Amino acid sequence: MSEDLRQAYKLRFEGELEQEQYEICDFRQEADVTRRDALKALGGGLFFLVAVRAQDRVAPVRIQLADNGVVRAFTGKMEMGQGSRVILAQAVAEELHVGFEKVDLVMGDTDLCPDDGGTWASLTTPQTIPVIRQAAAAVYASRNGTPVSLRSPKDWRVLGSSIPKPTSRAIVTGRQIYPSDLRREGMLHASIVRSPHLKSTLQKADVSAAEQLSGVRIVRSENLLAALSQDMRTAASAARLIRAEWSPEPVPEIATWAEEFRKSAVEPVEQNQARYPPLLRLGNLDEGFAAGTRRLKSDYWLSPIAHVPMEPRAAIAEWKDGRVTIDCGVQAPFLVRQQVAKALSVPEDKVRIIVHDSGGGFGGKQNGECEIEAAILARGAGVPVRVAWSREEEFTQSYSRPAGLLEVESAIDSEGRFTAMRFANYNAGPAGIRPQYAIPHHWVGYYRTKSFVRQGSYRSLAAVANNFAREMHMEEWSARLKLDPVELRLRNIADARLREVIEKTAARFGWKSRKTAQGRAFGMSCNLEKDARLALFVEISTSPEVRVLRMAATGDFGAALNPDNLKNQMTGAILQGLGGALWEKLEFDAQRQKTRRLSQYRVPRFRDLPEMDIEVIDRREVDGAGAGESPITLTAPAIGAALFAATGKVPRSLPLLS
Amino acid sequence: MTLEFELNGKTQRCSPAEGVTLLDLLREEFGLLGAKLGCGEGQCGSCTVLLDGRAVRACITRAASVSGRKVGTIEGLAKAGGLHPLQRAFIDQQAFQCGFCTPGMIMGAAGLLNANPSPGPREIKAGLDGHICRCGTYPRIVEAVRLAAQVMKKEAGRV
Repeated sequence: MSEDLRQAYKLRFEGELEQEQYEICDFRQEADVTRRDALKALGGGLFFLVAVRAQDRVAPVRIQLADNGVVRAFTGKMEMGQGSRVILAQAVAEELHVGFEKVDLVMGDTDLCPDDGGTWASLTTPQTIPVIRQAAAAVYASRNGTPVSLRSPKDWRVLGSSIPKPTSRAIVTGRQIYPSDLRREGMLHASIVRSPHLKSTLQKADVSAAEQLSGVRIVRSENLLAALSQDMRTAASAARLIRAEWSPEPVPEIATWAEEFRKSAVEPVEQNQARYPPLLRLGNLDEGFAAGTRRLKSDYWLSPIAHVPMEPRAAIAEWKDGRVTIDCGVQAPFLVRQQVAKALSVPEDKVRIIVHDSGGGFGGKQNGECEIEAAILARGAGVPVRVAWSREEEFTQSYSRPAGLLEVESAIDSEGRFTAMRFANYNAGPAGIRPQYAIPHHWVGYYRTKSFVRQGSYRSLAAVANNFAREMHMEEWSARLKLDPVELRLRNIADARLREVIEKTAARFGWKSRKTAQGRAFGMSCNLEKDARLALFVEISTSPEVRVLRMAATGDFGAALNPDNLKNQMTGAILQGLGGALWEKLEFDAQRQKTRRLSQYRVPRFRDLPEMDIEVIDRREVDGAGAGESPITLTAPAIGAALFAATGKVPRSLPLLS
Repeated sequence: MTLEFELNGKTQRCSPAEGVTLLDLLREEFGLLGAKLGCGEGQCGSCTVLLDGRAVRACITRAASVSGRKVGTIEGLAKAGGLHPLQRAFIDQQAFQCGFCTPGMIMGAAGLLNANPSPGPREIKAGLDGHICRCGTYPRIVEAVRLAAQVMKKEAGRV
């Protein structure tokens, strides 16, 4: 149910928007604000509701010019470390011609903020920023009797600056309140009785021992069974005393999934308006393969991995007069509002979701999970209920990054240029499937398949899988043709900005003067993903163990709205990619997920940190691209390429060391 | 049991239940929410506080074990109203993204600098290896700790 709602919600925000087509289609000063309690609480001043249209979609924006001189903007986007809060505030300050310190941003409150989509798909920079800029400019124009006009990048005073996060001081002093830090008067903590299996139904439960504990209440609602108490330890002790019986469904062994994917694959159809079109076709494959002088086929496999946000998710739900307010850290508050309303059989306007800056999401906190649980338990208990997942629940109760089977077959001519490619992705997804290479005849498609564990979004979605397969395939060609990997890329890339990024990085890295030695190897990767042009070059040592020694990367994201934040994001994504590249992997047996604790799942640590040289090309004249995701697609193939150079064996699966 | 210990320079008395962790005590009894619950098995470092000047994982430390000892948390790191050089350096370097690991990271760094006031990058990485930053801000953290150490040495020299 939740997944259907999420798919339907995402469809509303599909399709690319041309920035030049943004226009104000409605502008009004809100006169009836004093009758709306939630807005009333924000103090007086003028409230403006501006509707910005781009093609057939209308995005509402609310802006308040408060009596005390504060400018307040309202957005449904949220902050989870990626810097949306600072860049959106910069955009407001710029177009309202006020100092940055005057701007306050209210994020992710479904009562106060417009529904401008979930915080995903790197959309804040390319979509939300232009909308907020238009709206702020419209307010400025109306206050000053001037025509609406956006500040030109060459005149930027706030945008384009490396302004520090406004929450910096709170973060370093321990005063930043995260969803798991929230407390409420009269609240009970809930410890939920979890099935040990991947999929099962609750049959019966003996709660008699648990009920004996002082101050403990048991609440059951269908499959959801929890012990509630004023402190978490007692609630958890009580939950452990509950004897629950489950009927598990078996899950096929992961070794059989590739075959199962092929068997259950659904032929893709062209959907060119989709955000991630699942089928791209050009020319004629037979012709293309016939035109090539050599042909190559390779298969690749990606294991499912976990998000591991540092903060396990938490929510507090409180019902009052038939309406529930849920304080939490979800990435898509309006989607979660829908999901909660459906799960509790109430109209949407009886649900308020308030998002607090959260301790990491990475695509894993899009759905209502502990939020729905808290709402159900709070209604059953008649008091506010807090559901804070443990690290084990964070590993086992939510969705993981999908497993992927990839088949790549291509033909190349005597100049090392592609003539044809057939690229098939099973299960992982269509994101990032478009090749960065010029291939005159191609069929590039994503097969939806059966999946056996809960799977969902992860930073860059399937782009990691697609770029790993594509770039490893390039490395195989490079070896067969005895052509330098950089040279092979350049022969097949038409995009001038991507060529520049590759050449600049190669030069900075010293690619031409590299000397492969015993236990030392080099590799590279590139990508053109969500309008970002990217390249990564790595040096690794292979003994006594595989270690990345040095990385050089360049990113061209168009205009850098906040250059330092952008660099931080790019570096962080590349480093997070180390984990999926080298070690991260969820393990399952027939009924259970075996990976349940941090001690069982290796993530990148200080010991893994290579020397890093990260540069961003800031092109002010080009509309900014989002950067939160795309750099993570570079790490695995660059290291894979280096391992290939070191061992002569093509790595065919992720994680590389398993 | 009655527990008496020093918390951020002040003597405190309380009666935690059997088995309560230091993390629970700090967060629930004293409302000090800076130390975080990240994993509950001492693997991530988000719960780090100082115990007699040494960094410990509060999530796997029994509250009872701090009897008669000195506990330091992020809330007590700076002198009244100001910022500790580590906090100042983390802000200047923007050595965080979501910030959830940051209080523990800073306390871990404080413990490291108590033991070694002049660590090089290799020693900083080794000393903080028990801390995970999923957002991947490691290079900035190393730089922030290195710079803070320099400031602290200068300040110590002046006093």
